[in-house]
Amino acid sequence: MAFVAEQLLNALALAALLFLVSAGLSLVFGILRVVNFAHGVFYMLGAYFAFTAVTVSGQFWLSLLLVPPVVGIVGALLEASTLRFIYRRPPIYQLLLTFGLALILEESVHVLYGPTAKGVDPPALLQGSVQVLGAAYPRYRLFLVVLGVAVGVAVWLFLTRTRAGLVVRAVAQNSEMADCLGADVPRVRTLVFGAACALAGLGGAAAAPMTTAYLGMGVGVIVDAFVVVVIGGLGSFGGSMAGSLIVGAAQTWGAFYLPETAMVIMYAVMGGILIFRPWGLFGQEE
Amino acid sequence: MRRREFLKVAATGGLGASLGVPVYLRQAWAQNPIKIGMPAALSGGNAQYGIQAKRAAELFAKDIKAKGILGRPVEFIYEDTAGDPATAVRKAQKLVEKDGVKFLTGVVLSSEALAVSAKCPEWKVIFMSTINGAGALTAKSFNRYFFRVNTSGPMGARAISLYLAEAPLKRFFALGSDYAWGRDSVMSFESQITAAKKEVVGKDFPPVGTKDFASYIAKVRQSRAQGCYLALPGQDATIFLKQAHQFGITREVKPIMEIVELENMKTVGEAMVGTIGSSRYPFTVDTPKNRDFVKRFHDMHGTYPDMFDGETYEGLEWLAQVIQKADTAEDVDKVIEAWEGSSYEGLEGPFLMRKCDHQAVQLGFVVEVVNDPKYPHPVPKILATYPGDKVTPKCRTEEFA
Amino acid sequence: MTLARTRALAPAALAALAILPWVLARHQLSILVDLLIFGLFAMSLDLIMGYTGMVSFGHAAYFGLGAYGSALVLIHFEPPIPVALLAGALLAGVVAAPVGWFSTRATGIYFAMLTLAFAQLLYTVAYKWRDLTGGSDGIAGVPKTTLFWGGPSLAERRTFYYLVAVIVVLSLLACHALVRSPFGRALQAIRENEHRFVSLGRDSRPFKLVVFVIAAAFAGLAGALFAPFRGFASPEVMFWVLSGQGLMMVITGGIGTLVGPLIGAMVFLLVQEILSSYTEHWMIFTGAVFVLIVIFLPGGVVGAARRWFEARA
Repeated sequence: MAFVAEQLLNALALAALLFLVSAGLSLVFGILRVVNFAHGVFYMLGAYFAFTAVTVSGQFWLSLLLVPPVVGIVGALLEASTLRFIYRRPPIYQLLLTFGLALILEESVHVLYGPTAKGVDPPALLQGSVQVLGAAYPRYRLFLVVLGVAVGVAVWLFLTRTRAGLVVRAVAQNSEMADCLGADVPRVRTLVFGAACALAGLGGAAAAPMTTAYLGMGVGVIVDAFVVVVIGGLGSFGGSMAGSLIVGAAQTWGAFYLPETAMVIMYAVMGGILIFRPWGLFGQEE
Repeated sequence: MRRREFLKVAATGGLGASLGVPVYLRQAWAQNPIKIGMPAALSGGNAQYGIQAKRAAELFAKDIKAKGILGRPVEFIYEDTAGDPATAVRKAQKLVEKDGVKFLTGVVLSSEALAVSAKCPEWKVIFMSTINGAGALTAKSFNRYFFRVNTSGPMGARAISLYLAEAPLKRFFALGSDYAWGRDSVMSFESQITAAKKEVVGKDFPPVGTKDFASYIAKVRQSRAQGCYLALPGQDATIFLKQAHQFGITREVKPIMEIVELENMKTVGEAMVGTIGSSRYPFTVDTPKNRDFVKRFHDMHGTYPDMFDGETYEGLEWLAQVIQKADTAEDVDKVIEAWEGSSYEGLEGPFLMRKCDHQAVQLGFVVEVVNDPKYPHPVPKILATYPGDKVTPKCRTEEFA
Repeated sequence: MTLARTRALAPAALAALAILPWVLARHQLSILVDLLIFGLFAMSLDLIMGYTGMVSFGHAAYFGLGAYGSALVLIHFEPPIPVALLAGALLAGVVAAPVGWFSTRATGIYFAMLTLAFAQLLYTVAYKWRDLTGGSDGIAGVPKTTLFWGGPSLAERRTFYYLVAVIVVLSLLACHALVRSPFGRALQAIRENEHRFVSLGRDSRPFKLVVFVIAAAFAGLAGALFAPFRGFASPEVMFWVLSGQGLMMVITGGIGTLVGPLIGAMVFLLVQEILSSYTEHWMIFTGAVFVLIVIFLPGGVVGAARRWFEARA
């Protein structure tokens, strides 16, 4: 019984992390129609910036609050200075541009921080473990679950209950019409891109105490994010929530029962969805 | 009188000859450096290992600057392979053909090493491994241009198995990353530990690059193992140790590693204390030569030498001695002959280059990660030292007697 | 203008290819062979990307299949090289058929993702099937054999170079003929507006499937040349990073021009080779140059060259 509870929590913690990364990816696709290959690198930036912030200030909570906006600003600046000029081109150009940006950013981190991994210690409150049905469970993972839920609810409320969120959704549905109706489409795009990067940065900052900050962590996470987003539906926020839960559960139980084939099964599921229901579980049928 | 005059004339003549005649030759020698090529992974995920090779080379270059080898200066040429075998072959070829190097070293990944060393008979250059652990390099894939100075993977597994055979732990879980080294290491460990009448109660092969080991940790806990053998590459090991510590499992299950890296100790920190494992070169070896080396290394690079720093330095020093012995840096066959069967007093102890498979027979170390107030991070404390012949496999194989 | 101009430049290019091995240093010739092999890879990608409008994230898988097919045949049987080339291209084409059949049921970004999923699957197989592929270590020691039974040995670098150069030129001509044929025109119609194509009563899927397999076969041919040249095959040549680099090569050279991606691959690899000798942070410069090309030179190197010629005409 304790084992089942533990695995459930593991799945939820992993799902929370995946959600933070893939929500942004999904939104960027839904609204900008761009597959952002650099998304994983913003996740990595969040982790490294968190390392710097925690090392310099000693304050974990403050870092968690400040790092995502900083990553978001980096993303927004990049979008405004590069992507913005090529929106009218075929999608392959935008996609490859993000690929190029990913190369630049990844290597820049190498230049700034060197090749070795950086550990981040969680604050005292979140260290150690808690007894869950008789087994010790890390407090930090429980925090991740809470964080994932909190962010999910916050973004959901933003998109559905605020005027700004309404504008964002309008641009997602029909950017030309939204433009005619007075929405500042380029600005919305930049802000959404920045927000997506901020979410990824939050994911990275939250992951750092659990995985350390290391080069290549973006590459590792982006494939997972693609799987989540395809299953949930490209462009659907609710889809990325559902997808994260599914992939988180599958990876957690898969790692336990079939570690060597878990990934293969994931690719097969991803392939199956793309063939038979490409818009995923919750996406828009095009 | 005549003899004294004769001696004077002879001395003057000799002096004049040594000063005057070979001046242009001496200048030619000075411009004829011995080049050592290092196609190392200096970027990408394995950059931290390539950098160790480079650091060791830089220190060695400084140490040898006064004398040179055979009176000639030594020049190191570094190329970045990014950890990709195709690039490694391309860069190695450039080093051999454009720069004219006769000695290649510093290659990081075993896949790169296999690809490059397969070309060495064609290029007629010596490949000196100071990092690559794949057993096949001195077994199935052996060629006479290949020399391995470092402890191989099977040797590391052997040392730790010998230690565990005597230790009170009886039940082990084995976790190896799902690729060549991880699988071979677990296989080697399993066969040796069962030969010692102990039990492997479970094994798993997480994919390379796993970032969440929670399920594996749960499995280890369920298996009621007393020790967990880990054959995970650097970053994966770091993540596993951190998470295992967070789950509190390191109190119940002893982590045992096939290689214990200083880099892990620095990043993981406290969570790694108590881990035991095999170390190819623990910088805490207490010999005068090693203490001096560690000090010089720390003065130059501001950090303590990790495994590959030490082994690369030893390889370079040994290679220099062998070249001196062969009295040539161009006739590769002579260098090979001089190296086979030669011995060398290294930083960590004595080495002997076996002729049959060019594996250097050396001491095997089992260490424990401990806190030491002298150092800013945990360090390896040597628990046991095994003589070379006990930890080296039978010639051209990965099996032990 | 463009066709006539290109035709005018062709003899010069051929002449250059013919005499370069006598002019270049040995290791420079090696680099040129590498450039030609990856040029062929990029060109094959242009068939589906530039002419049919299908973006594939998994094209490297076919290069890899070609490399493994050729490597295994050479190691176990040591036949003349053309047999290995055929084996590699066939393996790539045969695997591409079912993959293409499934993938072409989707379009746009979904198609791209599917190709990625399949490629990752193939990569995982290569990585794990150690008995056959050598696993993560790959297969080393692939020999260069002969041109035909009893024929000249290809161990000599110049001979191998001519083999590669001839194959690449013939492939270029073959692809050129393909895109100019009625089949090729249908592909371009599909690229322009697939809905209209379908509404005119034609089924686009067989076309897309066939070109996918052909492109895979050419990529496999490139991989089959790679294995004996470098002497090994390893999973890295199937990894999606190479697919991404392939896309970058196509854009750098000029999408939809066939010869553009060939040149683009050469430019891309040369820049990387030169930069990496100066700094281990060469990726920043490669990325930056590429971003600039995407923004300012959408037609790639060839497109820019054409505009320059046109301006002066």
